[in-house]
Amino acid sequence: MAKRLIDSWRDDRAAGEGVARAAAEACGHVYDALSRWVGRDGCHALFTRALAQGRADHPALDHIRLQARAEPYVEGIAETITAHGDVVGAQALEAMLARLVELLGRLIGDDMAMKLIERSIDEPDRGQTRSAGKRGTA
Amino acid sequence: MTRNEQPIIRSLPSGVPGLDLVLGGGLPEYSFNVIAGGPGSGKTTLAHQIMFANASAKRPALYFTVLGEPAIKMLRYQRQFGFFDPDLAGTAIEYINLSSEVMEQELGDVLERIVTETERANPGIVIVDSFPISGHNGGPDQMERYDLDKFVQRLAQHLTTWEVTSFLLGEYATEEQRNPVFTVADGVLWLTQDAHRNSVVRKLQVVKTRGRAHMPGLHTFKMSNDGLQIFPRIPEQTSKRAPQKRGRLSTGVKELDQMMCGGVISGDAIMLTGPAGSGKSTIATQFMVAGLEKGESGVIAIFEEYPEEYLARATARNPMIAKMIKAGKLELIYLRPLDLSVDEALAEILGAVERLGARRVVIDSLSGFEVALAPTFRIDFRESFYRLVGTLTATGVTVFMTAEIAEGFSDARFTTEKVSFITDVIIIQRYIEMEGKLRRVMAVIKMRGSGHSHDFRTYELTAEGVKVGGSLPEYDCIITGNPFLRSTSGAARENPRQKPRAKPRAKRRAK
Repeated sequence: MAKRLIDSWRDDRAAGEGVARAAAEACGHVYDALSRWVGRDGCHALFTRALAQGRADHPALDHIRLQARAEPYVEGIAETITAHGDVVGAQALEAMLARLVELLGRLIGDDMAMKLIERSIDEPDRGQTRSAGKRGTA
Repeated sequence: MTRNEQPIIRSLPSGVPGLDLVLGGGLPEYSFNVIAGGPGSGKTTLAHQIMFANASAKRPALYFTVLGEPAIKMLRYQRQFGFFDPDLAGTAIEYINLSSEVMEQELGDVLERIVTETERANPGIVIVDSFPISGHNGGPDQMERYDLDKFVQRLAQHLTTWEVTSFLLGEYATEEQRNPVFTVADGVLWLTQDAHRNSVVRKLQVVKTRGRAHMPGLHTFKMSNDGLQIFPRIPEQTSKRAPQKRGRLSTGVKELDQMMCGGVISGDAIMLTGPAGSGKSTIATQFMVAGLEKGESGVIAIFEEYPEEYLARATARNPMIAKMIKAGKLELIYLRPLDLSVDEALAEILGAVERLGARRVVIDSLSGFEVALAPTFRIDFRESFYRLVGTLTATGVTVFMTAEIAEGFSDARFTTEKVSFITDVIIIQRYIEMEGKLRRVMAVIKMRGSGHSHDFRTYELTAEGVKVGGSLPEYDCIITGNPFLRSTSGAARENPRQKPRAKPRAKRRAK
């Protein structure tokens, strides 16, 4: 699911752009979409936990910072790519997203969690939410 | 506009058993409602039940979470209920969190977001939970109150224009019933939890519904895995009492039938009272079996023993009991919790009567029923009992109730006090001491609309049931438990154990 989400985001990007940045944008998009359901604070709490869990297996996440109510949501991509490379950085973010889906599934049930994430993949107005025109990665 | 051109206000099903009856037919479509109550009173669950009963892909529901329970926790807990259909979430039901707007922006922004989302989704149902009813940050100052009033006015207008049936959920204290929000609302549902001694009773009141007559009063409700279930104070008479011949029904005890000129009158309420071990349940079983043997169905409601124990005992008296339960002709209802409401008991019994088309109901016993009730209902047991009996007999069933009375040998109480006027027939059982032995006697004390024997008759409890013996015409003072034999000349002989009671004796001797 996490991979599919990142892939769908990467497909929208121009060739040559890094996968880690695509992954970070996918995370930001999920944050926006889920916030609509559970609130920005609730969603940020979920991401923070997923990040903490992901760091145990993915040191590349050490440089990642999440910024509630700020643009961009995922920060530290440049440092991550520099330190670990584009692919490893993307894998780490994918792992964080996977943890988020698992965590959400434990809280509200796998089926509902999948549904919410699926919705964020299929979101028709992607890129036109609060971050329209502003989304980027630092 | 002629009468025929009046707009029709359709009723939406609430999805809550019992609530549509209380609301006078359901929720008025496009109405603007307030669901009020304290923390944990069931507002969110009620709103969810309504939402899941009405949301569709064509007319979805929007659930705005504002303040209070974090949305993720709300989803987690609401998912536990049977009515929560995850397939509807995301398609027919959309949750939208407004906590940022409420915390960081003005009420106008909150309204604008709700309006924007409503116009986008074209929902049939909108729920705002929990609405910041008492001001932004707790106690409202005058300006906040003014803003809130304006907010509610505009929200109500907007949602009605968009043909939305909407619900604001809010925590109110009872003294806030004059809040202007209630003036604007078309419907107000108030949920309360009353703690009395060790029990808690949940109640719902429809304070207001525009355009229709709702059922007044406080209606108890319970929350289970299926959500809320309301027990209307006046249950729906699903089985209309057909005009029927008020014939006689056998009690299953031939001699007792004779004492009542051919049996009890169908549709009556009969109370059999007696001390422990006097055979009340035995006669109740015989009453039920007499009906089953004639092809009637029946319901037995028990409050004291566990059903397995009761069934084993009743089946030992008559194997037909177990057989008929298996055959679906008899239902055994076990109601034992100590916070039972009379309405809940009624709903259970009426449901079984309806399912089986029962003609006879046994309540064994009233004493157990009284104990099973929450203290708040025990305080006015007479009203609870009146509603129980009145509602059951209104369906045409014959109700046979047992009641245990504590009995000394020196006095006699015909029935549990205060409630005898509610029953049509009263039969008492008691122990008497005769020739150094404990004997049982019974008598019919009251029978509305019929003559009856005034004799005390002895009886025995046998393996086949109650065997009634003869009367005791040669004895006096049976009612005291200490009868004594008349002399052969007809004059009463002094009872050596009894203290002299001047007036009654003088009267009897004068006779």
